[in-house]
Amino acid sequence: MNSELNSRERVLRFFGKEEIDRVPVFSGMGNVTVHGLEKYSWKFADIHVEAHKMAGMAASTFQLFGFECAVVPFDMGVEAEALGAGVNFYSTHTDVVYPTISKKVAEKVEDLDIRVPSDLAKAGRIPLVTEAIRLLKEEVGSQVAIGAWVLGPYTLAGQLVDIGDLAKMAFKKTDMVHELLDTLAGVLIEISRIYREAGADYMTIREMGAGPDILSPRIFKTLIRPHLEQIFDAIESPKILHICGSTDSIIEEMALCGADGVSVDQKNNAAESRKKIGNELLLLGNFDPYGPMVQMDASQVGQVIKKCIDDGVDALWPGCDFWPDVKKENMEALIAAAQKYGKL
Amino acid sequence: MASEERTQEILKELRDAVVNYDEDKVVEWSNIAIDEGVDPFVATIDGLADGMIEVGDLYNKKEYFVPELLMCSDALYAGLDILKPAIEASGRKPEAKGSIVLGVVEGDVHDIGKNLIKMMFEVAGWTVYDLGKDVPLEKFLEEQLRTDCDIVGLSALMTTSMVSMPEIIKKLKEKNPNVRIMLGGAPITPEVVEKYGADGFAQSAGTAVDEAIRLIKMLKEEEMGK
Repeated sequence: MNSELNSRERVLRFFGKEEIDRVPVFSGMGNVTVHGLEKYSWKFADIHVEAHKMAGMAASTFQLFGFECAVVPFDMGVEAEALGAGVNFYSTHTDVVYPTISKKVAEKVEDLDIRVPSDLAKAGRIPLVTEAIRLLKEEVGSQVAIGAWVLGPYTLAGQLVDIGDLAKMAFKKTDMVHELLDTLAGVLIEISRIYREAGADYMTIREMGAGPDILSPRIFKTLIRPHLEQIFDAIESPKILHICGSTDSIIEEMALCGADGVSVDQKNNAAESRKKIGNELLLLGNFDPYGPMVQMDASQVGQVIKKCIDDGVDALWPGCDFWPDVKKENMEALIAAAQKYGKL
Repeated sequence: MASEERTQEILKELRDAVVNYDEDKVVEWSNIAIDEGVDPFVATIDGLADGMIEVGDLYNKKEYFVPELLMCSDALYAGLDILKPAIEASGRKPEAKGSIVLGVVEGDVHDIGKNLIKMMFEVAGWTVYDLGKDVPLEKFLEEQLRTDCDIVGLSALMTTSMVSMPEIIKKLKEKNPNVRIMLGGAPITPEVVEKYGADGFAQSAGTAVDEAIRLIKMLKEEEMGK
């Protein structure tokens, strides 16, 4: 195998199921680090609201460590903001605090009257994320694959209304929630299309609010899966479904949503999941971005990574956003382990 | 005054109504308890709270999930609304068992776990100072000093918001070495608790209930020992 593949080629060939030299090590979720922030002397709060900083930070983990992607955005408020929610960026903070929803669109599901902007490309920070994707395409687009992500419809609904009310309504007034998720699926399809058109090479849909830590597998099957199918039917490949937390009881349902791959975290038994979903669908995962990358000694990282590969994951991929405080040596150990254990 | 047999029946109806998240039934049987002279404190602890203990078990067995937990919690509160005034009116003040300051750390707005913990402490007769969500670090410190509470409970659902915890814990312990710190939230593991210097933890909404239950059981045993 040609060993001259660059990161972009490796990831794109991986998605295209073409021959590659080794398992890629990348993510569909945020992976900014404090080392990137230091490199530019940027404030964390600013990288969510300035396109060139968003792009610069998205590329920085690749540039500093060789982590094989550039992914935007970093916070979970983009879609909700475009639909009228308020976002707190903690702009006076100098340390790392992720933006949160400061104002819901409504408290209760029954009071939620979503008005979808006629042009989503111009709503909230979507133009900013789109601009960051364009900048990435221009600046590092030949070297590294560009990823973008949106929340899944249920998780997004949980940003728009009170999560507790949503959970209860999912149980008590399922039809009302179905209708809401149908609308949100439409919004997410359109945002995905906008990101792809701007130059994103792959999309990840993060539906972590609907896993078995919150909802029963039965509700996942009847209420959540249909709307994920709706999205994956409508968006272009490559497309990944990510759910974190305990997912062993829904991994087969996740596999049926129409994505090219499923992404899980360290709470998933990846070896079992591999058996359950077969070899056709990509399994992305599932190292813990906190313990091994922030807490452990760098010398222990290799074993964590080797286990992921032994369990049968197709790409080395963290179970969540990178913890910005990741240690340099551990990042280096991660990449070295991918090279050592990931040879194909 | 209800017979022992009738009292047991009323308590069972209260427990079952909580488990079946049947608010109407909880209201009905809370009123019956009062009308028939069942000690409202007993009805709260051996009826409502016992029901919630069973709910916690069902969650851990993965028969119940978060929606069910929340609906059961609504049912419990419906009963508490009736029984609590009755406890106060009876002159029998449930002696405060202790006090806890609770809040979701800054950068996080997810409060389901925190609210479940709050409920169980309230049921047990603790004084709860609820700081809400997205609470700045200094606020925990101020409130601990103001209230001299026994426990501070810090909650974070997101790994990304856990970052501020070590600093809060350090400062709390500096100011008051005796305060116990409880951490809650999905990213919290025994290693995190140890590394951060906290005293206990609950990882999910279910274990949050569990932790509170553990404490309540302990209190009940103390009560019975008296």
